[in-house]
Amino acid sequence: MYHFDWSVFWQYIWPPTAFQDPLIRNGLIVTVVVSVIAQALGVVLGLFAALGKMSKLAPLRWLAEVYIWYFRGTPLIVQMSLLFFGFGVTHIYDFPDLIVGAITITGAIQAGTLALGINEGAYMAEIVRAGIESIDPGQMEAAKSLGMTYGLAMQRIVLPQAAKVIIPPLGNEFNNMMKTTSLMVVISAGELFFGFEQVNARIFKPFELFIAASLYYLVLTTIWSFIQARIESGLGERKGLERGPSMMERLFSGSTGKGAR
Amino acid sequence: MATPKTKLKDSNIIVKAEKVNKYFGSLHVLKNIDLEVRKNEVVVIIGPSGSGKSTFLRCINHLEKINSGHIYVNGHMIGYHDRNGRLAEDSERNIARQRAEIGMVFQRFNLFPHLTAIENIIEAPTRVRKIPEEQARADGERLLARVGLVDKRDQYPNQLSGGQQQRVAIARALAMKPNLMLFDEPTSALDPEMIGEVLDVMKELAHEMTMIVVSHEMGFARAAANRIVFVDEGQIIEQAPPDEFFAKPRSDRTRLFLSQILH
Repeated sequence: MYHFDWSVFWQYIWPPTAFQDPLIRNGLIVTVVVSVIAQALGVVLGLFAALGKMSKLAPLRWLAEVYIWYFRGTPLIVQMSLLFFGFGVTHIYDFPDLIVGAITITGAIQAGTLALGINEGAYMAEIVRAGIESIDPGQMEAAKSLGMTYGLAMQRIVLPQAAKVIIPPLGNEFNNMMKTTSLMVVISAGELFFGFEQVNARIFKPFELFIAASLYYLVLTTIWSFIQARIESGLGERKGLERGPSMMERLFSGSTGKGAR
Repeated sequence: MATPKTKLKDSNIIVKAEKVNKYFGSLHVLKNIDLEVRKNEVVVIIGPSGSGKSTFLRCINHLEKINSGHIYVNGHMIGYHDRNGRLAEDSERNIARQRAEIGMVFQRFNLFPHLTAIENIIEAPTRVRKIPEEQARADGERLLARVGLVDKRDQYPNQLSGGQQQRVAIARALAMKPNLMLFDEPTSALDPEMIGEVLDVMKELAHEMTMIVVSHEMGFARAAANRIVFVDEGQIIEQAPPDEFFAKPRSDRTRLFLSQILH
């Protein structure tokens, strides 16, 4: 029978001891920071792709369509490998390490963040588009009748209303994003899962270590779902929106989670 | 064929439509519409639903494109300009500039639900006309007072009744100081008890503004209009001052329509 090594398990789930290992401490920081940056990049790209897809200009529409088609139609892990290894070996871009003060941002982290963000943009595009299309066309007409251009009307009238529709699925996307960063392990970017993998390579305790790893992700996504609930109820109160699902429904509904892309 | 001019000289003509045709697919919704509206005139367009009257109104500020003909507003052709002797669609910015001079009130109000009453009103003056917010607010409050809603300044549209929302929408359009107001069935979405308060505001306005109103409110038409235009199946059937129009309509279709709505 397998002997469960409790001392390794506790050492790696208890933050003060786990964080003595820089692989875990830095890995956690990288996971959180990369998630935020990649999600932000995804929102920006998604907004442009959505506007492109709805554009009157055919080339913009095609560009947006191809972007969405490719990045939703191929696995993220392939996109990430292509970007990091493929671009590296052809010297299209070598992803040199970036040194900012005392911190070194490795090329792998840059490539991973970029791949996650660009991939996310393709998914956000559909979310943003659905949000914009949920707004009564009369809003755009009213804005135009007041002398506003399309851009100004979008920015001031349509997008602020669409944001209320976009924010709940955006929160779910971010939840997925934190888990999906683990795919960066294929390019050896030093995020949380990579950290646990490295520790496992050293001491070979995959059962204990990967349970510990899963608990770290669970804590991250759970904290996020509380923040998300707070944000959404704030939105609802201010703008007369319907209340979202309760905390308990959110944690145990099991309806989200697209898994690896 | 000579190119049509893109400017009009007579500054007393606020709207001039010439042979305007409009299709939705194969449906011919506006057929050779000719109409002239002079400064300070109040024109009420009536007609059965689906007759094209709302579509025509929406063509006047280029919310709908026309397929042929020309519409001049405030002396300039709307939506198009002359490019080396041919008509080209205007840039978005130019269209927006022209629309800023044309107020429009919609059947469904179309207030911005994420903004309060006063914010709805000052949005375009501050963002389009770049009027300082303080001044826009002062002007906006005067307009709210004029439509009798100064105490609702900080309410969101969903906290207002339909009649109140439509009055805010009128104030919002007036805030741009337009020299033409278009009303697209402004009371059709209202509960009966709220129609009066909106019509009262419109009657007040009718003393001092050029207005084109698409409406089924015959009482308003009688009281405020200088001219009634009857539209059926995309054509202007007849137009006359209200007294004449209601007393002795010339066409059978007008008589039939009036008998149906006036019972």
